[in-house]
Amino acid sequence: MIETPAIDYGALSPIIALVAGICVVLLVGLIGPRGRRGLSSALTLATLAAAAGLLVWQLGEPDADLVAGALRSDGLSITIGLIVVAAAALVVPLQLRDPAAEEAGFGETHTLLLGSVLGMLLLAEAQNLISFFVALELLSIPLYVLCGSHRSRSRSLESGLKYLIVGSIGSATLLYGSAFIYGGSGGATDFTAIAQGIGADLADDPLVLIGIALVAVGLAFKVSIAPFHQWTPDVYEGAPTPITAFMAVATKAAAFAVFARFFITALGPSADQWQPALAALAAVTIVVGNVGALGQDSLKRLLGYSGVAQAGYMLTGLLLGTVKGIDALVFYLAAYMLINMAAFAVIAVRERETAYGDDITAVQGIGKDRPALAWSLTISMLALAGLPGTAGFIGKLFLIEAAVAGNYTWLGVFIVVGSMISLVYYLRVVAAIWMRPAPRLAPAMAGASTEAAGEPGLPRRTGEPGRTPSGAPSGGRCWLVLGAILAATAATVAFGIVPSPLIDFSAHAGEGLASMLGPG
Amino acid sequence: MGTTWYLVLSALLFAIGAGGVLVRRSPLVILLCLELMLNSANLALLAFGRNLGNADAQVFAMIVMVVAACEVVVGLGLIVAMYRRRIPLDVDEARELRG
Repeated sequence: MIETPAIDYGALSPIIALVAGICVVLLVGLIGPRGRRGLSSALTLATLAAAAGLLVWQLGEPDADLVAGALRSDGLSITIGLIVVAAAALVVPLQLRDPAAEEAGFGETHTLLLGSVLGMLLLAEAQNLISFFVALELLSIPLYVLCGSHRSRSRSLESGLKYLIVGSIGSATLLYGSAFIYGGSGGATDFTAIAQGIGADLADDPLVLIGIALVAVGLAFKVSIAPFHQWTPDVYEGAPTPITAFMAVATKAAAFAVFARFFITALGPSADQWQPALAALAAVTIVVGNVGALGQDSLKRLLGYSGVAQAGYMLTGLLLGTVKGIDALVFYLAAYMLINMAAFAVIAVRERETAYGDDITAVQGIGKDRPALAWSLTISMLALAGLPGTAGFIGKLFLIEAAVAGNYTWLGVFIVVGSMISLVYYLRVVAAIWMRPAPRLAPAMAGASTEAAGEPGLPRRTGEPGRTPSGAPSGGRCWLVLGAILAATAATVAFGIVPSPLIDFSAHAGEGLASMLGPG
Repeated sequence: MGTTWYLVLSALLFAIGAGGVLVRRSPLVILLCLELMLNSANLALLAFGRNLGNADAQVFAMIVMVVAACEVVVGLGLIVAMYRRRIPLDVDEARELRG
């Protein structure tokens, strides 16, 4: 008689719901006409809603080890899972009129998107080297495809191939590091067993030391921490905008979750030895990201570099190894999700309405005729810079407070100085929105001359269906997209004024790791 | 023969793979070099597993092979799509997006 293993279906339910949704969306995409955007989007949203509901239900349940300890459902994994699901749900309406999704097919695009979400949920739960690697790849491989999904644009293909190469270098480095940790800890793959296997002193075992360094490099590639960030602006610029938005936010959230779990659970006893190294990385990242963003004219590149800087801020919360630090990290990730989704959505809308692509010209002078978009982008930029009255400010406040409490005051100073530099480029966008006149050339005429208008020989962007020749918004202005933008912006402001719901939410994350963390 | 030599070999393979990714210009060769990096990790895993008498490493290595295959499929797909668009298959030429 074989003893059947106990399966905790309750804690696995968000993952089961996603897998079922992936199958349904893929099959529905295969049946029927190719342009079935409505049905496919509705099913995707329903899947995400089901996963979100189950995650919220699990938030009240006790923490659980799943699948023989390969996964762990706790406060950290559930909060990060909710952030990822919310990001995906905001991306779905954005894809409704996306040329990339139209070209690749909505069923396929949404299947890949859900697959990536599944990988992110698993990554946030992973507490074993094997599930860690598999979840990371499950997250990445659909994203490589999605980046290259706009096949008629050579930039999209280029960004897909670039992301694949750089991402695979990161994965391979991480895997090689895992092998050394496995060897150095006496054959342990579980994070807790690794902690017991390697003890508190890293310096006496070169194998483990090499392993940890390689794993950290692999993770740094994924969350774009300098000096492993060079791919970020390129890939962000080339990928279809909705995908960039999803990638920027959700990948970071999931990778930071496993980053925190790995370093705190597996390497907790030796915290004082790896903290200075990560602190140096965080400081370099803040400087490199903010300085790199200064000269950018492409809004997507600008947000790419800004994302590098934000990764530096977030790394500060992680490396402190305190409950406060993890809470601040998750709060910041949630705020960053709302802000970034709104900003990228505005860029995507302008990209479709004008021939300027994602160049800063596309948002010049939109204050007059598109006030809703203008205000959303303005608030997003100010929130990214950390101005009071937005969730971005509260997030930075918490990070700095945690850094001071964790004896890393100098990193707090770096965050402040970085935010000051960042005002230069964020305010440049705000100035373009409100103080510059709208570009004089009719967008359709400019289309031929601007580089962003696509390669010669292709149908011009302005000539695509659903768009009037003048480049002005066609009759079907997408209210769903505008609704998503306004909801994200409203939440940014609301959580900036009344942050307590988001604070309670992020406090779950610290609780999940509390037994491993110091107080403060 | 101890585990050390296997580790030395895996380190060499990893270095050759990483060097190849940096130096070579054809995306196909770069994909090959990425495979080399993953397989060097497999070799290290198996050497450790054998040394420690632990089977987890073999499970890990099998899973890595599956994942590596998936990565190559996507990579080759992208390369074919670029070829059909008549984009030169040379990563030095693919620099419309300048870092």
